[in-house]
Amino acid sequence: MPPELTAFGRRFKLSGYTLTTRPPLVDDIDDHKKDTLFLTDLPGIAVLAQMGYDHYNRAPPDTGQPYPAHAQSDTFQFPDQFSLVYAGAVSDKVGAWLQLTYNGQAGSVGIDNIDIRYSDHTLDNKWVWGVTANNYLTFQDVWNGIGSYTVPNFNTVTLSSGGVAGTGTSGPILNALGPGSVAGIGAYVFYNDSLYFELSAYHSAVAGGNSPTIDSVSLAANGGAVDRFAPYARIAYERDWGYHSAEIGGSALYVNWVPSVGYISAQQQAAAALAGNTYTPGQTFNPGPINRYTDVSVDWQYQYNGPYNIFSFLGHVTHERQQNSDQLVAATFTGASTPIYTNPTDTLTQFLVTGEYFHNRHYGGLVSFTRTTGTSDPLANGGNGSPANQYETFELDYVPWLNVRFILQYDAYQVVANNQSPFNLSNANFPNSPGFTNVKASDNNTWVLGLWMDF
Amino acid sequence: MRKLAITSLGMATIALGTIALAALAVRDAHSATLIVPPDPSTMGTQALVNNACSKCHGQYGVSASPLFPILAGQLPGYIEAELKLFRLRGRSDPRARAFMWGIARGLTDEQIKGVAQYFSTQPAVKGGGSSNPALADKGKLLYENGAPDRDIEACTVCHGHSGEGVNTQPRLAGQHRDYVAIQMSQYRGGLRENKVMQHVTEKMTDDELAAVVDYVATL
Repeated sequence: MPPELTAFGRRFKLSGYTLTTRPPLVDDIDDHKKDTLFLTDLPGIAVLAQMGYDHYNRAPPDTGQPYPAHAQSDTFQFPDQFSLVYAGAVSDKVGAWLQLTYNGQAGSVGIDNIDIRYSDHTLDNKWVWGVTANNYLTFQDVWNGIGSYTVPNFNTVTLSSGGVAGTGTSGPILNALGPGSVAGIGAYVFYNDSLYFELSAYHSAVAGGNSPTIDSVSLAANGGAVDRFAPYARIAYERDWGYHSAEIGGSALYVNWVPSVGYISAQQQAAAALAGNTYTPGQTFNPGPINRYTDVSVDWQYQYNGPYNIFSFLGHVTHERQQNSDQLVAATFTGASTPIYTNPTDTLTQFLVTGEYFHNRHYGGLVSFTRTTGTSDPLANGGNGSPANQYETFELDYVPWLNVRFILQYDAYQVVANNQSPFNLSNANFPNSPGFTNVKASDNNTWVLGLWMDF
Repeated sequence: MRKLAITSLGMATIALGTIALAALAVRDAHSATLIVPPDPSTMGTQALVNNACSKCHGQYGVSASPLFPILAGQLPGYIEAELKLFRLRGRSDPRARAFMWGIARGLTDEQIKGVAQYFSTQPAVKGGGSSNPALADKGKLLYENGAPDRDIEACTVCHGHSGEGVNTQPRLAGQHRDYVAIQMSQYRGGLRENKVMQHVTEKMTDDELAAVVDYVATL
């Protein structure tokens, strides 16, 4: 539960979660049999539960109804998330993190993060290497400046319309290839507890469909899919001394992305024609259009893990270049319906910095600042076309026991892109919500009261 | 419903019986062909050190963080005694609970012996020295002589003249200064149980504690 992995946690994870001192279930175990079968007496099952209570600065409008419903500015997520996790050894050199999650917003149980590892090392432990198979790009990472483990990590996504609070805020694709959309395999080495290098490749692995191909159904379910393989490289250098640990790293990702824009396969087209339906020319793409993303990121983390107090300072700068498919860009668009992008190339830069302090390992807090800027693309983003956002997170934590954390969080927004806000800023007046005018970014400001338990 | 329950129970019995029979058969076949002597432990010493101990205590027993003690050159008797205490949950200072209870839970006596042997034979490190010689001198006096008028025993009695330790009394020489300081304050507060150490640290003043810690850091 301490918010970030310590030097110990990183080594545990890189060793493939195989740290175990459990006695074997069967006797007569010799080295040969140990290599063929390994049974654990008590699997390392953990429960992770998060509850949240959110309060918006202003109740969002109800735009979908002719008679507005009583929109509330408060929501309860009880639970917001409830997970069962197995993290531990499967055999001597193979370990796994398997997570099954009930998601409060989706109202359903599904496969969450999975990371299965094979790991080995030289006799003196100077070289640790391994192979990881996982379903979330960056979930395999052991530092917290980038990707899925970035702090702040208690986010309750609130409103369905993009939910500015938390993960709904637009960011680079590097943070977005998660469970249900991709699967990847990677190899890594960790030398002398300091130098880390990893190469991975991700392929689309769309959950919930029975088709292994990227068809219109699975595209629509995920807003798009990875075409062929997306290569990912990661390098990091860590140094530990006394109570201190510092890391600096870089990562690069290249993705051919098939966006969900009404792609219709030749087969579907034929089937539709048989049924007497026609498609407007230009809505049909075969093969589908491909946007090319190149993400380059620099991240850092400093930790002071003292006898009583903990301090950490971390963050990243990620720059993304998005080359839009000719078929979707206004100037080169040949179809009859509307193009999707104004620019042939869009860029996005995200900067995140977080400082966190825990006193006596019980009372803590954090301040985090995120700023995203990018090229203006009115067709893609609506309104003035800017994808920009800027917000801060302030958090107070109370950790009475190591595995229980009470959270009071305030998210303050200065800039919110048009299509990300429940208060869609491009539409300052909501005809269905009389009196709903003068919409500001700060309307999205949110108080969050949370409870997080692991056991 | 009731019928179904009985049926499944019956099925289960049959299944269990089959498994038991199969297991017996395997066991028989196995004992006939056993060549490798059974190894009672899941992991040998080196594997334990590599996969577990080294993550916090360093590959050769020299930890980077003072949160974790340096084990290189520590007396095997002490390491053994402490690991057994962790296994029994007989030592309950916060970090012992957080880390060592879990780690030591399933260790066998052989594994404990092996690990103790491994770390005790690693080359010991020398203390970092003192930045305040006057304080260290004061500590030396107390370390070597104690304060009999206040019923404070000399540290040398249990830890040796140069902090080398005696039997199950730990070696102090070369230990992280902060680690020693934290242990002293935990003994004093009763967080780490040891009658002698609690008695001694309770009788000492704050200044005396600081002085002894400073001197131990020079050993």
